[in-house]
Amino acid sequence: MSYEELDHTADIRLRVISPSLDSLFAETALAMMKIIYGEPCPGEVGRTLELEAGNTENLLLDFLSEVLFLSEVEYLVFSSAIVHLAGNSLKALLTGEPFDPERHRGGTEIKGISYSGLRIVKEDEGYVLDILFDV
Amino acid sequence: MVDTMLERVTRLGEFEWEVPRGTVPGMSVPGRFFLSDSLYKSLESGAVQQLANVATLPGIIRYSLGMPDIHWGYGFPIGGVAAFERDTGVISPGGVGFDINCGVRLLSTPLTIDDLGHRRELIETLYQAVPTGVGAKGPVRLSIGDLEDMMVQGAAWPVRQGYGLAEDLDHCEERGCMTQADSLAVSAKAKQRGMPQSGTLGAGNHFLEVQVVKEIYDPGAAEAFGIHPGQVCVMIHCGSRGLGHQTCTDHLKVLEGATKRYNIELPDRQLACAPLSSPEGMAYFGAMAASANYAWANRQMIMHTTRTVLGKMYGIDYESMHLVYDVAHNVAKMEEHSIEGKRIAVCVHRKGATRAFGPGSPDLPPRYAKTGQPVIIPGSMGSSSYLLRGTETAMERTFGSTCHGAGRILSRSAAKKTINGAKVKNSLSREGIIVRAPNDAAIAEESPGAYKPSAEVVRIVDALGISNLVARLEPLGVIKG
Repeated sequence: MSYEELDHTADIRLRVISPSLDSLFAETALAMMKIIYGEPCPGEVGRTLELEAGNTENLLLDFLSEVLFLSEVEYLVFSSAIVHLAGNSLKALLTGEPFDPERHRGGTEIKGISYSGLRIVKEDEGYVLDILFDV
Repeated sequence: MVDTMLERVTRLGEFEWEVPRGTVPGMSVPGRFFLSDSLYKSLESGAVQQLANVATLPGIIRYSLGMPDIHWGYGFPIGGVAAFERDTGVISPGGVGFDINCGVRLLSTPLTIDDLGHRRELIETLYQAVPTGVGAKGPVRLSIGDLEDMMVQGAAWPVRQGYGLAEDLDHCEERGCMTQADSLAVSAKAKQRGMPQSGTLGAGNHFLEVQVVKEIYDPGAAEAFGIHPGQVCVMIHCGSRGLGHQTCTDHLKVLEGATKRYNIELPDRQLACAPLSSPEGMAYFGAMAASANYAWANRQMIMHTTRTVLGKMYGIDYESMHLVYDVAHNVAKMEEHSIEGKRIAVCVHRKGATRAFGPGSPDLPPRYAKTGQPVIIPGSMGSSSYLLRGTETAMERTFGSTCHGAGRILSRSAAKKTINGAKVKNSLSREGIIVRAPNDAAIAEESPGAYKPSAEVVRIVDALGISNLVARLEPLGVIKG
């Protein structure tokens, strides 16, 4: 997983770099899981998502918000994500394990995903995303 | 960019600074913030930029304001206050945040420090009784009908269910209920998140702390607040949990689209907004108010659990523990303020700021009519918290607002890299402060070294007169999410 934490005083700001938009979306969702739950373990529980939005950035925001929602209401910790984008819509398969208070309380709660400073840029090394999570 | 922002700042007085119009294009008013020399050194250009960005929003009145705990957030800076004219202004979730009505309340008890005995046992019992951290479920499973009632009634709902006293409601900002709440504007998803979480503390900087009153600065006000030296109190800091987070997410998306429809140009998409009178603006306001009510009910439930634990452990009456006050830190409110001699209806956004209404304000209960509103400023973990009172100066200068806490100076990642949570826990334990948290990283992130010194922040608001010191409380033990 290729992401680094950028400086931000109050919240968590990440830079994620990935060769394709599909993998960028998947890696960002998993980075989010790691922030909330610590190191997730592989699991057998699967959930699918289908979404569309007006542009790629909004699609990413909607996707991450949906992952956050699913994880919280179904008490699931996702350790794998496969995402396929087609234009401004996506299909995703998330797999993971049920939340276990003994193993998944090593992180911090993410309250929301901010539009502030959100950008996705195509560079030589791949797609570069800057994103801020309110924690 | 970084230097340009800070270079534009001009000094107006010992604690007062201005961000002039033109710092970012489209500012209709200047930015003003309040800092001492020592705190100015930790000011980030990002915070100045955000303060300036807010000044571009339609209908903003007088200034985009930053309290002394100002720091870089998203949308508004943390410590940001702005008022918008009711008829021409906007409402923005970026001026409230994801944790709608994150706030704090202070419970006084008849206990003194000598009555406490085994403090570790008390903290452990509270930790077991109050669900904390990621994935925690509340003690009461709400039905959808209960949740709807809670969103409409606020703190009154748990009181009616037997989780509190009628007097508690008098001692909450807005009596613990914004009457404009519209639970129909809260999505099914938000309700789904809110149902299992009522009565949970949450994670991050949320906490429940047992404290002792260490110093009194204003004996008259302290007496009115029911506070005396050596007294044990409990401070509860939390918000609207997943229900509020989802409400912000949902409406931010709608308002992002609305911003374009209303031809509003924004320097930051997180400032997505709509006119207060628009359907989108009204829907957000109604949903935000419903989430704020959920947060008041949530703090009421946690306080009930606390009273029950203390009652059982120390044999004291439930009725002998009084709510001093409950304040919101992240909220937008319709209020009336005097602007150049005229009473004007405005929507005041407070993002990491506390209402600090002065003496005689009609919103205050008779008990606090002469003193002004109790203002509760939590310190960072292990440092002092303060009780202050609202003032006439706050009404004149800051739309009745003051700071909300110490304010971070170190990012969470920097704190985790440079501060060892286990060491902090041990060092606090040597000072007699017991910390109970789900993991040591949570302790490192929130340790005193990651925050501005709370004493300096309250010194500034006291010197400016936007709230005045009443008492200082020291921590004895804390449970963290």
